[in-house]
Amino acid sequence: MAHPASQAPPASAAGSPGLPAWAKFGAIFGVVSALSILTWGPIGVSGTYPRFIGAIFRRLTPDLAHANPYLEKMGSFLKPETFLMIGLLIGGFLAAKLTGDKADAAEYIHPSETSKAKRYRDAFLGGFLIVFGARIAGGCTSGHIISGITQLSVSGLIFAAGVFATGIITAKMMHRGAHS
Amino acid sequence: MTSIIYALIVGVAMGALIQRVRASSPAMIAANLRLENISVIKFMATTIAVGAILAYVIAAFIGMDAMHFDIKPTYVVGVLLGGLVFGVGFGLGGYCPGTCVVGAGEGRKDALWAILGGVVGAFFFTLLFSSVIAPINKLMDYGKLTLDQVLGLPAVGVAIGLGVIFLGVVYMLPTEVKKHS
Repeated sequence: MAHPASQAPPASAAGSPGLPAWAKFGAIFGVVSALSILTWGPIGVSGTYPRFIGAIFRRLTPDLAHANPYLEKMGSFLKPETFLMIGLLIGGFLAAKLTGDKADAAEYIHPSETSKAKRYRDAFLGGFLIVFGARIAGGCTSGHIISGITQLSVSGLIFAAGVFATGIITAKMMHRGAHS
Repeated sequence: MTSIIYALIVGVAMGALIQRVRASSPAMIAANLRLENISVIKFMATTIAVGAILAYVIAAFIGMDAMHFDIKPTYVVGVLLGGLVFGVGFGLGGYCPGTCVVGAGEGRKDALWAILGGVVGAFFFTLLFSSVIAPINKLMDYGKLTLDQVLGLPAVGVAIGLGVIFLGVVYMLPTEVKKHS
C-alpha cells in the first residue's frame, strides 16, 4: 500500500472565500480561549490524564492513592478540565458528522508505517511521550502553548521552543527516504 | 457547577475548531512539523494573538482578579525537558493530548491508541514523580513568571505587541511549501 497520508491532506474546504480556515477558526478559538479565562480558567488538557489515574487508584487501592504525592497534588477527577475533555470528544464527533468528514481509522503518517499495527504502535508510543513530557513540564499544547503564551507566561514560550525543536527533527527524520 | 458547564461548552467549541482545521489529523500535524504545510501552526499563533489581546484588554477593564488567569511556573529545566520529550512524541504519533480525544470523537482508531499511550504515560509519571521528576523541577525555578514582568512593561501593552507580531509573522509566511520530490 502506498502512503497517501505521508502527503499533507488537502486544506479544509470550510474556509470562507475571504479568510483561510486557519485565520477564521484561529480567531474564533482566540475568542473562546479568552472567554474561558474570563469564565472559569485557561484551557488545559494533559492534567486530566493523571487525574484519571488518580480516580482509578482511589477506587482500587485508596491507601496507595493517598500515599502518592503527585495524585494528591493533582486532586479530584471532578474538575472542569475533565468536562473540557468530554467536550472535545463531542466537538470532534459533531464537527465530523455535520460536515460529512470521514476520518481514516488509521491515518498513515510516516513511510515506516507499513501496516495498521505499526501505525497504532507509533500512536501509542507518541501518546505515551506527549503525556509524560507534558506532565514533566506541567502542561501541553493547550495549557502551556495556547493558554500559557496567551497569558504571557515565560514557561509557555520555553515549552513551545522545546516541542518544535524535537517535533520538527522527529517528523523530518521519520520522513527521510520517503521519496527515494 | 457553572464552571463545569462553561468548560463543557468551551470543550465542544475547541473540539469542533480542532476538527475543522484538521489539527486532529496526525498526517496534517506531521506535515506541519515537516514545515510543508504550516496551517495548524498559523491557527495556533492566531488563537494566541487574538486570545492574548482580548484577555488582557478585558482584564484592563474589569481587573486581573475578576478573571481566572492561572500562570504556570517557569522551572526552566523541567519545562524545556518536558517540551523536548513531548516534541518527540508529537512528531512520532502526530497527536497532542487533546487532539487525540477530538480524533477519537471523529472515529479514528489510532487516536484511541494515542489516548491509551497517554494513560499509560500518566501512570508511569505518577510512579516516578517524587523520586525523579520533582528534583528536576526544582532546578532554575522562577515561579509564575510573565513576559510583562521580564520586560517591565504593562501587560496589556505586551499582549497587544505580542499579538500584532504573531499575526504579522503568520500573515507574511506562506502556508504551503511545495516539496521537490
